[in-house]
This record gives sequence, C-alpha cells and structure tokens, in this order.
Amino acid sequence: MNRVAAAVVSIALIGATLSPLVRDPVADSFPLSTYPMFAWKRPTKLTMSYAIGETATGERRYLTPRIVGSGEVLQARAIVERAVNQGGSELRAFCTKVAANVARLERFADVTRIRVLSGTHDAIDFLVRDQRGVEYERTKCEVRR
Amino acid sequence: MKRLTDWWFAPAPAERLAALRIFIGGYAFLYLWIRFGELLAVSRLPVAQWKAVGVTTWSGHLPPSVVIALVVATMVALGAFVLGAGYRYVAPVAALGLLFVTTYRNSWGMVFHTENLLVLHLAALSLAPAADAWSIDRWRGWVRAHTGGYGWAIKLLVALTAATYVLAGVAKLRIAGFDWIDGELLRNQIAIDNLRKALLGDSVAPLATQFLEHPAGFTIFSALTMVLELGAPVALVGGLPARMWALAIWGFHVGVVLLMNIWFLYPLVFVAFLPVVHCERPIAWAIRRVRDRRRTGMPAA
Repeated sequence: MNRVAAAVVSIALIGATLSPLVRDPVADSFPLSTYPMFAWKRPTKLTMSYAIGETATGERRYLTPRIVGSGEVLQARAIVERAVNQGGSELRAFCTKVAANVARLERFADVTRIRVLSGTHDAIDFLVRDQRGVEYERTKCEVRR
Repeated sequence: MKRLTDWWFAPAPAERLAALRIFIGGYAFLYLWIRFGELLAVSRLPVAQWKAVGVTTWSGHLPPSVVIALVVATMVALGAFVLGAGYRYVAPVAALGLLFVTTYRNSWGMVFHTENLLVLHLAALSLAPAADAWSIDRWRGWVRAHTGGYGWAIKLLVALTAATYVLAGVAKLRIAGFDWIDGELLRNQIAIDNLRKALLGDSVAPLATQFLEHPAGFTIFSALTMVLELGAPVALVGGLPARMWALAIWGFHVGVVLLMNIWFLYPLVFVAFLPVVHCERPIAWAIRRVRDRRRTGMPAA
C-alpha cells in the first residue's frame, strides 16, 4: 500500500468515527455512535416493569434476565415492557413462558407463582435503605411442575 | 504538512502490526465463540422487537439460520485473518462479517457500546498490510512491498481508540453541559443502573451501595472521567504518556465494573490499548524460544 492510499484509508476511518459529532447527540447508531450513555440528567426515581417469583409463603425472589428472555439486562427490560404494553393475552402468555422457564430451574424450586409488576422506586432508597416504592400488579400466573 | 506526514508515516516494525492482527483478530474470534449462544438467542427474539440500526437498516430482519450461518462464516474468516491466510481478500470479509453480526445484536431496541471500538479496529486492520509478518501469506511469499510502511496503521488504531473516548466526553458536555462534572448526575446514573439490575435479578455492582451512601466521591469520579475522555488524544503522542493514559483509562473501566457491573471487555482485557505498547515482544519471544528449542533441543536462555 502506498502513502496516498494509506492516507485515504486513515482520513476516511477517522472521519467516519468522528462523524457523530455533527449528528444530534441523541441519535445513536452502531458502530458510529455518539456514545450518549451516562450523559443524561436523570432523577433517582425509576418506573419500570419486571417479573418476580414468589414462594408459597409470599417471599419474593428476583429472577434472572435470561429467564425473561435475554442475558442482557436492557434487552430483558425491553421484553418485559413490551409484554406489559401489549397487555391481555400477550402479557398472560409472557407470564406463562416465564413460569415455564422458572419451573425448569432447581434454584427457583421454591417459587410457586410469577407476578409481573410495574413499580416506581427511588434507586437510593431501594439499594441503600432497602425501601421499596409503589408497585402495581399487571398479571400473575402459577408455576406448574 | 510534511511534519504531519513524517509523523503519521514514521516507521514501525511489520511484526508490531502483525501482532495487533493476531491479538485483535483473535479477540474477535473468541468474542464470537463465547457469545455464540447469545447471538443464537437474539436471532430468535420476536420480530416485533426488531429495531434496525446501521447496516441492518439495509438487510432487515433475517431468519435465525441465516444469522447463525453468518456468525460461523465470520468466525471462519476471522480464523484466516489471525493466521494471515489470503489476507487481502479474507480480512475485509472478516471485518464486514463482524460489523454485520455485532450490528444485528444491537438491532433489538437497545444499542450497546461495548463492541464499537473492536469493529472499528478490525476495519482498520483489514485495510492495512497487517499480514506482512508472522502469517501464512508471508510463509508462502505472497506479501508485496509497501511504500506506506506499517507505522500509519498502528497510529490509525490509536487515533480510533482516542476518537471514541473523545466522543463519549463530548456527548456528556453536549447533553448535560458542565453540570455533568458536579457528580450528582453520575451518582444518579449509577443508582438507576443498579436498581434496574436488582429488579431484573442481575448482580448489583460490588461497590455501588457503599459509594451511593457517600455522594461526595462522585464529583472526583466525574472530573476524572471527563479528563480521561477528553484527554484521550494524548495517546497519539506515544511513549510513556500514551501508556500512562492507557493504564488510567483501563482503571476507569475497572471502576465501571465495580460501580455498575458493566463489562467493557475489549478495553478491560487491554487488547484495545495494545496499539500503544510494544505488543510484538511476547510473540517474538515465544517464536525465538520455539526456534531455539528446535535447533538445539534446549530452551533459550
């Protein structure tokens, strides 16, 4: 490769990588990203939907993202939110699928029920002071073994 | 202009670029190997969740069998990339394959930021004469003379690394302004991220709870993050300043694991920063040992 070709390759790749600078920083893409993660101002209160397991005595068990449908937390969240937004039979089918996944796992052998909840929690209270916020039950289903 | 071109095209050994081909290509191969199950799972997600980004806006959603075939083909191409076999033809295939496969993984409603630099590095290597040493092409005598040398390609890898960190710093200033440095914003990000993990049953970061109780520390973390990200071009200076920056930004990624349990694996295993060090030395040492052992039956001193 001669110097001219090397210079063209260098300028093209560096230019492409820096091109998100002239884009709206919110308009993310891949692999030419604006890297907006962690840049947002946000409150410590979060409203989101999630599925939990419950034992016969009412004790709560947090499931894993994989049980919901993806090993990635954010993808798992998107799966739950989508099911909740669809509601009705789609949400019930989602709950049944999660229950079927839980039924196969020995470490959740004491889980008898799945509840899909939407909750609003303060992150600091939840993590540091162990205080839960307000929760609303969307649906629930039994774990059949 | 002459000073700039002299600096950009300053000579570097072919073995250093070859070592980067082996390490970065090898990392990409192992990454796909380890992520194979997840890529399979992602390809089977409901079509309703599909949200194309980048190159997948052209391809659209594909059947799982096609996705798996593409992953396997990319891994085969990456194998040849690492060995330097038919590099001129195989390397662009490997780079395009990795671009497509990783973009496909990012096309389900959530764009991750853990694979961008790997894809960019592989693209740069695929267009560089990175198989002129320690390769099958070299062994078969298929390499050609390059008047551009090898140093520019290594500088390009460093420049791409620096650019991604600068972009991350600029995004913080464009979106949140200088308020980002006061620490509250970073603390809230860490708190929300860990809450999300807790509710979805993932592991909360080991030091998150302890640090959330002491918010003052986040001002220092925020300022340091901004200095390291916007100061990334120091890596282009080379030598000790570049190595110090690489070490510091590696420490930053370790901090991200401890506070957010987010693993940017490519920088964490230091492969992303190999272009700033003499990464050919361990391979050269290993080759010398093998040759000496073969010649004398004795290990090298």
